[in-house]
Amino acid sequence: MTRRGTVFEETMLGRVRLVAEDRDRPLRLDLRARADRVLLPHRTTRARLTGRVRIAGRADDPEAVGELEISPLARRRIRYRITFTLEGRRLTLDGWKSVSPRHPLASMTVLPYTLYEDGERVGDGTLRFPLVTGLLPFLTSFRFPPAAVPAADRDTASRWDGKPGRTEVWYTTLTDQATGSGVWLHHEVVAPTDGSGAYAHGWVAVFPKDGPVEHARFGPFPWEAAPQGFAAEGIRALPGRLTGSAEPFSWALTEEPDGPPLHTFPGWSWRRPWLPASQMLPAARARYSGTVRYGTGELRLDGAPGASARIYGHGNARRWAWLHADLGGGDILEIIAAVSMRRGLDRLPPLVFLRLHRDGRTWPRRVERSAVGWAGVGRFRADIRLPEWRVEGRAGRRRIRVTVTQPPHRTLALGYTDPDGSAAVCRNSETADAVVSLERWWGRWRPEAAWRLSGTAHAEVGER
Amino acid sequence: MSHRPPAPLTGLVAAFLADDGTADWARNVPRRLETLLGTMPAPARAAVRGAAAVIDAYAVARTGGRLSGLGPAQREDVMASLVSRRALLPFLDAVKVPLLLAAGTERIPHQGAAPARPAPDDPPLDCTPSGQWPTRSTADAVVIGSGAGGAMAARTLARAGLRVVVLEEGEHHSTASFARRAPLDRFGDLYRDGGATIAVGSPPLVVPVGRAVGGTTVVNSGTCYRTPDDVLARWSRRHGFAAAEGFEADLDEVERTLRVAPQPLDVLGGNGLLALAGAQHLGWAAAPLNRNAPGCAGSCQCVVGCPTGAKQSVQLSVLPQACAAGARIVTSARVRRILTDPDRPGGARAAGVLVRRPDGSELEILSPLVVVAAGALQTPPLLRRSGLGGHPRLGRNLSVHPAISVAGRFSRPVTSWKGVLQSVGVEHLRTDGILIEATAAPPGMSSFVLPGVGRELRRELEGADRLATIGAMIADRPSGRVHGRDRTLIRYDLAPRDARRLLRAQRAIGALLFAAGAEEVLTGVPHAPRARTPAQLEELLDGVTAGRLHVSAFHPTGTAAAGADPELSPADPDGHLRGARGVLIADGSVLPSCPEVNPQLSIMAAALAITRRFVAKAS
Repeated sequence: MTRRGTVFEETMLGRVRLVAEDRDRPLRLDLRARADRVLLPHRTTRARLTGRVRIAGRADDPEAVGELEISPLARRRIRYRITFTLEGRRLTLDGWKSVSPRHPLASMTVLPYTLYEDGERVGDGTLRFPLVTGLLPFLTSFRFPPAAVPAADRDTASRWDGKPGRTEVWYTTLTDQATGSGVWLHHEVVAPTDGSGAYAHGWVAVFPKDGPVEHARFGPFPWEAAPQGFAAEGIRALPGRLTGSAEPFSWALTEEPDGPPLHTFPGWSWRRPWLPASQMLPAARARYSGTVRYGTGELRLDGAPGASARIYGHGNARRWAWLHADLGGGDILEIIAAVSMRRGLDRLPPLVFLRLHRDGRTWPRRVERSAVGWAGVGRFRADIRLPEWRVEGRAGRRRIRVTVTQPPHRTLALGYTDPDGSAAVCRNSETADAVVSLERWWGRWRPEAAWRLSGTAHAEVGER
Repeated sequence: MSHRPPAPLTGLVAAFLADDGTADWARNVPRRLETLLGTMPAPARAAVRGAAAVIDAYAVARTGGRLSGLGPAQREDVMASLVSRRALLPFLDAVKVPLLLAAGTERIPHQGAAPARPAPDDPPLDCTPSGQWPTRSTADAVVIGSGAGGAMAARTLARAGLRVVVLEEGEHHSTASFARRAPLDRFGDLYRDGGATIAVGSPPLVVPVGRAVGGTTVVNSGTCYRTPDDVLARWSRRHGFAAAEGFEADLDEVERTLRVAPQPLDVLGGNGLLALAGAQHLGWAAAPLNRNAPGCAGSCQCVVGCPTGAKQSVQLSVLPQACAAGARIVTSARVRRILTDPDRPGGARAAGVLVRRPDGSELEILSPLVVVAAGALQTPPLLRRSGLGGHPRLGRNLSVHPAISVAGRFSRPVTSWKGVLQSVGVEHLRTDGILIEATAAPPGMSSFVLPGVGRELRRELEGADRLATIGAMIADRPSGRVHGRDRTLIRYDLAPRDARRLLRAQRAIGALLFAAGAEEVLTGVPHAPRARTPAQLEELLDGVTAGRLHVSAFHPTGTAAAGADPELSPADPDGHLRGARGVLIADGSVLPSCPEVNPQLSIMAAALAITRRFVAKAS
């Protein structure tokens, strides 16, 4: 089902008393609110605000922005926080309607607020929703369009429900465009099959453009559920923030999602964990800013491109390959080719899950298409070996060929332990090369697009 | 505009004080009483007015004239007739309490009108009346109550870098304002319900509680006892009160902050010196109390705010430090409700507070942390009206330190109202749960009620300067309970063991006073008011039950106790309220059981421990 959001417009009129003045001034707000979910009164809905703030004789900012917390029943509060410009100063209006069942009308229409500048109070006042002139435009402005960007935060939350024999991963790969270096942060929770306590571990690695790979492991630490993401012993992978230290590394990064979520496996397999494992990206692309310090240097990142991904399942595959390629211009290629550990499935050739996010669309349209084709016919094929592995396939009138090269000196091999205790080795490279060619059938196969990534592809190959 | 008090009140005063028109001071007592009644809660006010009307009606029935119209002899006759009905004695005693307050103030002109030295400037506080506070604001932590617990919590949180707002229902009173005004004028402003908070039960108790910036520490006696080791061990082992671990260091810190030291003898006053002499004669352990009043001038006005600024109440010590660290205090701010967000992941969470201003308008402050330090009598109703009172033990487990007061008449003037108000502690019976403390008070404000009415009472008043008063409080079982949502209703039934302790304390104080040289001991019991020898006192008290004693209580604790057992303790071992996140309890209500000594240090150390643990965990 398409997830829907809510859009509506609201106008409020009132007065403001600025601290430096001895009289009130009229204030008018014309706001447009956008929420990523349908507005229902019994729950708390957050919305983004844009609009115009006018203070008679002092301010008229048509580009005010802010946020709205709508919770008339649960929290009995509708809170507005709007930042706008007054004569070059950035002011924040913070106020809320306090919904009372005894005075439903007054409490839903009166908004007392305070104005702040850098946290200091610079004014206050009260706004009112003009029922007579405002109610009809307000009600008719409601729309419920498909949600533009679902909350990435929700997909960062821990999935593990306490069952033994599960593994959960938060991993982030990014490329510092200034130096060509790659950074890999891997956070993992393993709940052993034997029912012993879950533990958290992981590693951090820097892949300098030319130099040798440096890395450090952290953990294992006993795992205590962190509702928002991964948090253990000061190492955190939470919505919008990645911090931690593991000698000689330390990092503090902010993450700015840039794009919709991308399910490399079928979306249902993330919601209902029936497959051996499922992987997805809360945001297909993200930008990273902050600092990564390591043994021989320091990276200062400012909007470095990359992505964070999530894995939840029973353990590692028998054999697998993964690619995340930022093709530029907002286009992303994400591939996983894997052979399952499950009996029966382990005899099949690698299942290929390929998602090409291009010009706002994702190809192949069905996730399952690349993996199983039409009952096996027309499925995509993978040839997994090192230092070079390939994936190719055709869906509809397009076909793709991907060749990934992971030079040994730019690859880091690390051992993993599955929940059942079995071991796997993964060879990771943040500075892999990739060649992608896309062709389209138009009487014959004609080249549609080609990308050549030199040292900026993120890839790994795992085996037993 | 001059206002004439109603005739029944005027008549009542004239009858009780045997006013024959010869003393100037007696003339103003009715007006003073009228003003005092104005500060009391409506039920207490109605009770006194009703009693005045009933006695007036009795006078009409008996003599054909109203009390105010009768001559002194006829009034005395009416009163004698009333006193002869022994069942009425406790009732007459209750009427006497406000009357003596008014009379005491008028009889001894207060010395504050021309202070010996100007009042010092108080350390600066960041106080804003709620009327000037914005209707909508935010903070990192809201502390409800600015008393011992609230002040310490505010200081700890502010020093940890949080934006702290302290909400206080009362107003801010400076040392200069104390020095300027008569004790009784301050009385009504500084106490909740005009000092007439009553616990119903057997016997009924008066539980005076402070209401001002600084809470009850503004009006306490300044006595600073460290929590006894056996009490700490019980809190830690039996109740699982985690904050009690490392309590010694917290007590040290509080003592340093309050500048606690033994009271020097120079200003101790006659009352304390007599107690020391009596204890020495009996071979009982006694010493000047440890107090937080360096440079105490012996004004004997602790209970209505120290007029010299010597007593380090929290508004002179802890709150200025909290404000220096960025905390702000909102005065005249009664918290109606703690706001909660019930739909937060993981369950309900505190979101802020809804505050009522004196003019009836409301303001809200959003804050992820709410520290409740409204006092053991106000915290349970506040939590209930916030929808957080679901724990079945909330409001129960109330200990109050029931206390009695006994006076001794000496042959020479004692002038107990000159010197330190609570000066000497006699710890001879401490291990038996009885703590004797020499406690005087400004005239009329003592919890000791002079015996008799009419001429007898007048004689007692005239000879009040020869009286020494000594009090005792007992470590009681948690026999009380705080009911109510909007108004607090206290129920307290003295446990049989505690009744025995009170009677034992009564005898012990009598013995102490006789040992100090008292000619006569006034028991405070209406039915058996005086004894002239120890033997007579023993005989007198043989016929007295605890129900006949005039019992006060000063230290309510334990109504939202912290502890490890989720079924017994409304708060967890770290002081977090169970059932909602983001609510800390940091006042006397969080103490797991009766602290057995004056509780200021215990409450402050508990608040310090609880908030410090919170800060450590949060960071």
